[in-house]
Amino acid sequence: MTNITVEAVQLTKHYNGRTAVEDVSFSASQGEIMGLLGPNGAGKTTTIRLLTTVLEPSSGEFSIAGHPSTSPTEIRRSVGVLPESSGYPSHQTGSEYLRFYARLYGLGRRAAGSVAAELLEAVGLEKRAESSIASYSRGMRQRLGIARALINDPSVVFLDEPTLGLDPAGQYQVLRMIRTIAKSRDATVVLSTHLLREVEEVCSRVVILNRGRVVVSGSVGEVIRTALIEQSAELRVPLDLIERARQVLAAFPDLSIDQVEEQPDVLRLAMGTPGNASGVGSDGIMNAALVAVTAAGIPVLRFELEGARLSDAFLKMTSEAAA
Amino acid sequence: MTFQVAPPAVGTGEDLRPREGQSRWLVIAEQECRDLWTSGRGLILLFGFSVLLSAVTYLTSTNLALNFLEQRESVNLVLQFAVAVGVLATLVVSADGISGERERGTLETLLVTPVSRRSIIAGKLLAALTLWFATFGISIPYLWVLGREVGILEPALALGFCVGTLLAIGLGSIGLLISAASNSNKTSIVASIFLLLILFAPTQLPSGLPQGSFFEVLLRANPVASGLTYTSSLLVEGHGWTQDLSYLITPLLTAIIAGGALILAGPRLVRLTRGVSGG
Repeated sequence: MTNITVEAVQLTKHYNGRTAVEDVSFSASQGEIMGLLGPNGAGKTTTIRLLTTVLEPSSGEFSIAGHPSTSPTEIRRSVGVLPESSGYPSHQTGSEYLRFYARLYGLGRRAAGSVAAELLEAVGLEKRAESSIASYSRGMRQRLGIARALINDPSVVFLDEPTLGLDPAGQYQVLRMIRTIAKSRDATVVLSTHLLREVEEVCSRVVILNRGRVVVSGSVGEVIRTALIEQSAELRVPLDLIERARQVLAAFPDLSIDQVEEQPDVLRLAMGTPGNASGVGSDGIMNAALVAVTAAGIPVLRFELEGARLSDAFLKMTSEAAA
Repeated sequence: MTFQVAPPAVGTGEDLRPREGQSRWLVIAEQECRDLWTSGRGLILLFGFSVLLSAVTYLTSTNLALNFLEQRESVNLVLQFAVAVGVLATLVVSADGISGERERGTLETLLVTPVSRRSIIAGKLLAALTLWFATFGISIPYLWVLGREVGILEPALALGFCVGTLLAIGLGSIGLLISAASNSNKTSIVASIFLLLILFAPTQLPSGLPQGSFFEVLLRANPVASGLTYTSSLLVEGHGWTQDLSYLITPLLTAIIAGGALILAGPRLVRLTRGVSGG
């Protein structure tokens, strides 16, 4: 049985006559990493601020870790948050910063020191624990922010653009940490980001927002299918076997087969829809086609899948909603 | 580099468990004090105050020698200067309290903790008041030098402490309210300093406020002017403690009303401003 830890029901927030989010509904389960996606101004940050009780919704309800929106203090005890563009007191040391937050969650001085030391070690900052935050790089500050978000051992962790401004190595480190948080702590992670490829890798569910509304939600596969993204592939075989490959692929009626211009040894395989009448997904048909080609003794020199990625679905859904 | 980020092995020992009864506002106050005094801001303000106070004391001593000022007047002058600077410093730090956190992007992380917004402002006010207590402490030796021979040291210290503390609480609370209501830290600090200048202006008129019931009402409505009038009447004119006690009503009411407004209405003002993020 899945344990729902985040549930939003028709959340709406108006600011001075402008609607920031409207009728936003979704849920996430324990141990799940949920991607909250959307273009700038889509309402991701507002949604996170509503769910973390920083803002009050104009209407709608939500619950976090079993606590209803009417119990904001209980919710704040259960969540860890890394806000977007979070600031840090530059004159404090990393250790001092974490100890302060640990004490705000009710820990005594000694316990706060222990928790701070453990978390600094966990995020790889133990050697810089007594350095002032002013001397930290952006990546180190983000890791410190994640450590702070974990100080109360939260059931739900909200990370708003945690990889913003980080170099690829920094992004990779943060994404690894996010995976570990969900796995080892069994915490729900709500991740707002623009890195769609990484979301595809780490998130089990995604919610795409556009102009304050949910345009689609579900698993990455479901979102791609909902967006009806055409999947295609390029297949390169020896030139003398190209006709033989065509004959083999003709057994797949859902596939259209075309010759790639100026590349006589390359075929483009395309599907009209991400699935077919038999209910087999496009991945399955492409795989079956590839298996059939190799089974016919045709050497496959190159096979590249294109389309049907989350980024394609994201662009399609957000541009459709904007149109 | 590997990241474990596993749950910390806490929560088992008694000391490691969250203490529900712990006063979070004291934790905030403690951290604010540490930030104020170790970041250099508080010490720089105190250093500047000490230099100015030394200069003022030297000038009053010179005037004493030239018989331009009586000893009682010089004690009163230095005391008023200490109160003015102490309250100003408290006000400036308070005015930075919430709007500064907003601008530095550190307010949201405070708001997502289980600490109530009331505790946040109470802790910040307490920390700001330490500046007043520090400036008052520094002025004690100067007052001792000037006041020991005329026997008004003790009343000067008691008066300065009472009036200054009331004004620091009242104006510090107003500074925090302005800060919570302002979107810009600059606006908050400028508005607070402007308010203080308006309140102090009547005390700096060479011949005081003109006579008349209208000006008397103005004087009594101004917490700074009425508080300092009370100190003057005791220290310079030698009035009894109870003779002009009514002048203390406004500073007292300011502390109660502004402090009460801060505690009651402040939490609703402590919020993120709209449009901090585009997401």
